[in-house]
Amino acid sequence: MCGIAGVVFKDRKLHPVGDALTKMLDALQHRGPDSAGFAIYGGLGLEENEYLLNIEVKEKSGLLETVKNTVNMATPIKKEEIIPSVENYIIYRCKIGLKSFSELKPLIMDVDKLDDVMVLNGAHSFEMIKDVGLVEDIAARYNTRSKVGTHGIGHTRFSTESLVDRYHAHPFQSYIIPDITVVHNGQITNYWKIRDPLERKGHIFETNNDTECIVHYIADKLSEGYKLEEALEQSVKDMDGPFSYIVGTPNGVGIAKDQLGLRPGVMAENNEVFAIASEEVSLREVMDTHDIDQISPGETRAYTI
Amino acid sequence: MSEFIINAENQPSREVNRAIKKAATDYDRITIKNPNAMHYLAAGLVDPVELVIEGSAGYFAGTMIHGAKIHIKENAGWFPADNMTEGEVIIDGSAGDGVGQGIYGGTVVVKRDVGSRTGEIMKNGTIIVGGNSGFMSGLFMMGGRIIILGDISDDAGESIIRGTIYVRGSIKSLGKNAKVDELDEEDKMELKELLPKYGFDLEENEYNAFKKIVPRSNRPFYGKESEEG
Repeated sequence: MCGIAGVVFKDRKLHPVGDALTKMLDALQHRGPDSAGFAIYGGLGLEENEYLLNIEVKEKSGLLETVKNTVNMATPIKKEEIIPSVENYIIYRCKIGLKSFSELKPLIMDVDKLDDVMVLNGAHSFEMIKDVGLVEDIAARYNTRSKVGTHGIGHTRFSTESLVDRYHAHPFQSYIIPDITVVHNGQITNYWKIRDPLERKGHIFETNNDTECIVHYIADKLSEGYKLEEALEQSVKDMDGPFSYIVGTPNGVGIAKDQLGLRPGVMAENNEVFAIASEEVSLREVMDTHDIDQISPGETRAYTI
Repeated sequence: MSEFIINAENQPSREVNRAIKKAATDYDRITIKNPNAMHYLAAGLVDPVELVIEGSAGYFAGTMIHGAKIHIKENAGWFPADNMTEGEVIIDGSAGDGVGQGIYGGTVVVKRDVGSRTGEIMKNGTIIVGGNSGFMSGLFMMGGRIIILGDISDDAGESIIRGTIYVRGSIKSLGKNAKVDELDEEDKMELKELLPKYGFDLEENEYNAFKKIVPRSNRPFYGKESEEG
């Protein structure tokens, strides 16, 4: 089933986006208990060409040092943090500097070669938090409620077709261009038809999860000069199946819904906040919902700041 | 009149519904405070009680009710009044997809816009929408009437078999087996009697704007129309 949510604070100032998304996702917990995740934009405060890596590392003697050495060989680690997770894993979070964004994906692929290690993401303008379990537990584990930002997206997952683990938790990220994320409720039934041309263009797929397919599709369109709204509109024409998904970019969020309207999506907005979610119960956590809009079949909505 | 108040805050819908059903045997009117867009409110309620929901309801509000009168003071999610056999569900705000899905009787009123597939597979009863209705409204409709005071979106009356969809606004496109007819005087009288009961006070000339969507054939897929029962 899955629950999706997104929120934008229109004044571009920092707000408690982590707290807002935690409440919105907790209200959607009934839609999926397997994992949950957040992409909180605008609050990291990194310098140009600095990135934050989130790396899943099994608790095994010497492994964390090997990970650090691998990263340090590429670029010195500037700052680090260890976040305990579950099932004998920790999340190793480190800040690094690179000459350019194009070095990020190769570094991630190098680290991923280590056994029992997986880079969950690397980002410049947003903070990714995703893990297995319930929204409140994950929010407490990562101190999510204290995170500030300008906007963000989130997800609570009911797994249907792929693994329940941290990597398959949403949001998914693409590295075709910086900092594009997607959370998704549904299935893309013409998955291979979408994936094939993207792979022919050289884009790298790490999973067989259809949400990864969406995020690369959107990032590819944005890289070709589409505006977010245009990319969303084109995706509705190109993709089959029941879906609602929300895209996060450094400048905003947007939602797309399949042409038969088989997955839910509602939105509400006032002078301060633009919010979208699977259900009204989620919107109510961030604004008065006297006036809500049902996202129509095939419709897209976006808000950029 | 005897009244009972239930505070739904922090309660699961199963507990709230249990409390509603217990109170429905002893009281004439039940008020739900703090519903917080909860799903399945009043599911399967079969007592002729008046139920006021002081806020929004989630999915399947009033599903399978028989005889209750439910008033939702804000919005409703997907499938309000699903499979109702008798009763009344009034929603002051907007509602999601599948309003009145499969109803056998009773009346559903939504004061503002609704989502897609309004009245899909409904067999009888009445659905009134004060605003616009979305894609495939009246999908596989098998009886009853839908009245849309605003616009109706694409594929209106898709595969409609029986029943009537009255539309005051524009019809974006028709579904298979649907056609548009003009209203006759009997239709207008029916609307004039019905709509004011639910607070829709139209001017005389506004009734002239209505069109009705009806089936082209009662056997659109196979067989002969003469065989239709």
